[in-house]
Amino acid sequence: MQQRTRVHDQEVGIPRSAITVTRADRSWRQVRVSKKLRETGLALLYLAPVLVLFGLFSYFPFFRALYLSLNITNEIGVPVKFVGLQYYQRILNLNGVDDEYLRSLLTSFEFALMVVLLQIICGLGLAWLALAKVRGIGIFRTIFTSSIAISLASASVIWALIFDPSTNATNALVNFLHLPQPGLLTNVQTALPSIAVMTVWSGLGFNFVISLAGMQAIPEELYESASLDGAGRWALFRHITLPLLTPILLFLLVVNTIQSFQTFTQFNVLMNGPGPAGATNVFIYAIYQVFWFDHRYGFAASMSIVLFVILLVLGTMQIVFLGRRVHYR
Amino acid sequence: MSTSSIRQLQTTVTYIILIAAALILLFPLLFALSIALQGETITPQILPNLRNLDWGVFANVLQQQPDLVRWIINSFVVSSLVTIGVMITSSLAAYAFAYLEFWGKQILFVLVLGTLMIPFETTLIPNYLFVSQLGWHDSYQGLVVPFLASGFGIFLLRQYFLTIPRELHEAAKMDGCGHTRYLWRFMLPLSRPALATLGLYTFLATWNQFYWPLLVTDSTQWRTTQIGIAIFHTSEVQVLNIQMAATLIILIPTLIPLIFGQRQLVRGLTAGILKD
Repeated sequence: MQQRTRVHDQEVGIPRSAITVTRADRSWRQVRVSKKLRETGLALLYLAPVLVLFGLFSYFPFFRALYLSLNITNEIGVPVKFVGLQYYQRILNLNGVDDEYLRSLLTSFEFALMVVLLQIICGLGLAWLALAKVRGIGIFRTIFTSSIAISLASASVIWALIFDPSTNATNALVNFLHLPQPGLLTNVQTALPSIAVMTVWSGLGFNFVISLAGMQAIPEELYESASLDGAGRWALFRHITLPLLTPILLFLLVVNTIQSFQTFTQFNVLMNGPGPAGATNVFIYAIYQVFWFDHRYGFAASMSIVLFVILLVLGTMQIVFLGRRVHYR
Repeated sequence: MSTSSIRQLQTTVTYIILIAAALILLFPLLFALSIALQGETITPQILPNLRNLDWGVFANVLQQQPDLVRWIINSFVVSSLVTIGVMITSSLAAYAFAYLEFWGKQILFVLVLGTLMIPFETTLIPNYLFVSQLGWHDSYQGLVVPFLASGFGIFLLRQYFLTIPRELHEAAKMDGCGHTRYLWRFMLPLSRPALATLGLYTFLATWNQFYWPLLVTDSTQWRTTQIGIAIFHTSEVQVLNIQMAATLIILIPTLIPLIFGQRQLVRGLTAGILKD
């Protein structure tokens, strides 16, 4: 009894000596309830804008997408015929008719694999470089970060010219690879890797910043004592930096994977179509075509739900990984 | 060799590697600048003729393409409105979650965090249909309103609010300061670093939006910079120098905040994975 009263007193912020203990419990509970009642009103007022906005632009459209995905829709998005899970069967090719959408998913995975690996390796390398204690390192750090501020649309327009045969920037590479078509983007084998390279460049700033922050959080003494024991730079990296950076690397792995699954801009600007023999028809772009050009809103909605499930799995992995890090520290 | 000369050699090698890395990373930007300064040509070189640089191209592009100015204004209006809106709605919601006690707090907080799990692409089609129904194509409200609430912003500010000592609130309350005034007079000024992070992050993210503005803007004058520049790229294939000059001009509004607000931005990006 006494203890509970003390807890209450602290919460309301009135010195314990000011009240009598026996009557306090009941009266303070009343005060608490009325306080909570008052604050509920205020809280709802404060939360009203976000609740309305989330309702209108997140939850309502989410459930509407689920509903649309089970229907054939007309050209203004009104459901006209219920088809159940047929669209999902089509996407996952459960009927064995055509694997267009399954292949598109596979392209997305392929793209993610290339981008994520390269991004993490390059980001780590740059961060390791930027730890050097030399004069003017701040300028280099800003340069390494700069791609964060360059929008994907601008980057795509610039890279479109880099890949354009008329500017001669990549022709040496095209000749070296003995490609049948001029330009890296018009060949089946090089189109997707080229966009991956452009995407890596675009995301490098982010990966660099995160890796550098992680490396800077590692206590200096660890390196010093290992150096005294005669460890070289590579050994320091391999046995101190990498293990201590594991949580950051897992974070980057998941975030980069989610992001590369959502990549749209560069496919739209650089390819403006599914690419040679559908080589760059990633899932996001396939959804865009079904939605924007074919106006098949129901089918596009079912594809977007498949994407949601994939991203949900990846997002859950992120929480598990991050949760584990917090646990270990 | 003496130790000092070994150290000097090491420093030199470090600089060489750093400069090489910087040049590789800057290559696309330098390339764009090089094309922009070459004048109108259909056979551009990688390196421009240094004696004949056309710096006037940046002034020309603004004169020849009045749309570009309009796109920049659109992007500024949209990004500013979204940024201010997100800061207001997030502060209010974050304050409720951090300081008020009310029924349904847990459920509502889960609902707010839940929005982070719903990808933009999944709500895109219904949102597009909804906004079309409202007749919001080619308007600022169509570009702004769907983005005025941010689960990330609420979470970030709530975490920051929780670090501000509760005693301050008790003291203010003793002096008869209500919640709304306390939020406005104390919490927001004290949370300036977190608000700066959120503001910078939101501004950059909105400025760089592509997919949504592509869908809800139909006429040239309502395009934002990102859509404008991409369409400019497909429509003016021949005038490469103008194209690159326009691209470089629209980079300035995001490059400047990055250079001056790098610390805030980094703090925002690492929020939740690193302790400060």
